[in-house]
Amino acid sequence: MGIYCYLTFPTTYFAIRAEDLLKSRPYHFKMVPVPRSISSSCGTALRCLCPDVSGIKRYLTENNVQIDGVHQLEEKVLKPPKLFTQKGKP
Amino acid sequence: MTTHNTRNLYFDNAATSWPKPEAVYGAAEQYLRLACGNPGRSGYTRTLEADRLVYRTRAALASLLNAPDPGRIVFTLNATDALNLALKGLLEPGDHVLFTAMEHNSVLRPLGGLRRAGLINTTVIPCSEIGDPDLNFMEKSFQPNTRLLVINHASNVSGTIAPLDEMIESAHRHGVMVLVDAAQTVGTLPLDVTGSGIDLLAFTGHKGLFGPAGTGGLYVRGGLDLKPLREGGTGSHSEMDLHPETMPERLEAGTLNSPGLAGLLEGVNFISETGVLSIREHETALRARLHAKLREIPGVTVYGPAESSRCVSVISFTLAGIDCGEIGHILESSFDILCRTGLHCAPLAHQALGTFPQGTVRLSPGYFTQPDDVDYLLDAVTQITLLARR
Repeated sequence: MGIYCYLTFPTTYFAIRAEDLLKSRPYHFKMVPVPRSISSSCGTALRCLCPDVSGIKRYLTENNVQIDGVHQLEEKVLKPPKLFTQKGKP
Repeated sequence: MTTHNTRNLYFDNAATSWPKPEAVYGAAEQYLRLACGNPGRSGYTRTLEADRLVYRTRAALASLLNAPDPGRIVFTLNATDALNLALKGLLEPGDHVLFTAMEHNSVLRPLGGLRRAGLINTTVIPCSEIGDPDLNFMEKSFQPNTRLLVINHASNVSGTIAPLDEMIESAHRHGVMVLVDAAQTVGTLPLDVTGSGIDLLAFTGHKGLFGPAGTGGLYVRGGLDLKPLREGGTGSHSEMDLHPETMPERLEAGTLNSPGLAGLLEGVNFISETGVLSIREHETALRARLHAKLREIPGVTVYGPAESSRCVSVISFTLAGIDCGEIGHILESSFDILCRTGLHCAPLAHQALGTFPQGTVRLSPGYFTQPDDVDYLLDAVTQITLLARR
């Protein structure tokens, strides 16, 4: 189990612009499909560590990126069956 | 008469540029074969890569145009689509619009339709016999309800470059917005939408930007809101039955031409690496070579300014006693030279130049044209004039 925070955006454009802007910043994050528990909408969310949220939000807002919302989710760490893992990787 | 298959005898870059930089072909093919996720839809890696490609293309175009925010670049099918979006998305009933006689049918027809429907009024700014707009006439033509001035940045018939900064300054002084048709100039002339204070700029991807057909866009100044012409799927806020209001999705709906944008991005990258000024220098030299020698051929009349610094790489001519369509046919059938003849979708421009309704032969060398190719073309025109005198 892990606790992650998810930033959602009004449009894909803002999601990808956020990714591009954050590349040069010292944050760990990943672009992922929006979890269904957050929104029925399709789209991409930015998953990051919760302590980084305020810094990320501030930086993105300064750069005119619109953020829909921030959601904290407990995420199950799923272990894919070995059948589907890549060769050479555990 | 001989044919020279090794030469680049394509003189129709004002219609669409050819050849493209090698990377453009590769990127479009690679996208179709290996990528092909639908941008903005789903969340798997391929679609995310498609989203990134679309974003990078927007960002590259914003950088080329000096637009501060990539989100203000909206993708369209071509320049015509962008101009329709600008005109129909901005204008309201009762508005008055000024435009120059050098405009293309992509401006004349949407405005003509709105005018005939009784929605707007328009005034044409006359142009001289070399394609320069009458700025005194323009200055006197602003009305209290004038909403927009449309400027063809460079004529697709004579190549004449409009005095953009002067016209924008005048329009803004009267509180009028400016739409620039940059179909013939983006990628070949330096453009700075921020520095010039341009409100709307329409461009195509398949001419000076070296992209595939079916790509183009509209720059919309920050703070300026247009009504969308199309509404539908954007991949975001799917639960809402209203189209999103945030840019650029507000003005885009449906699946984007991402294979085309993959090619367009490489075209823009090629321009950034080569430098717009280098492209401009090469094309100006070709146009100057063509102009200087073409006008010396007996029977030839060349249209547009004498100074190539005042033109993009487009030149129009007629040959006394021969229909321009016939000249185009002989140039292809006997010399393998490709060019465009006729009215070039710009009837008012031809009226200004004095070539309506017969039209002209239009030659438009591109960045990949070499001086030798121009010399071969000049030789071909000379041979045709000799044939005509027999």
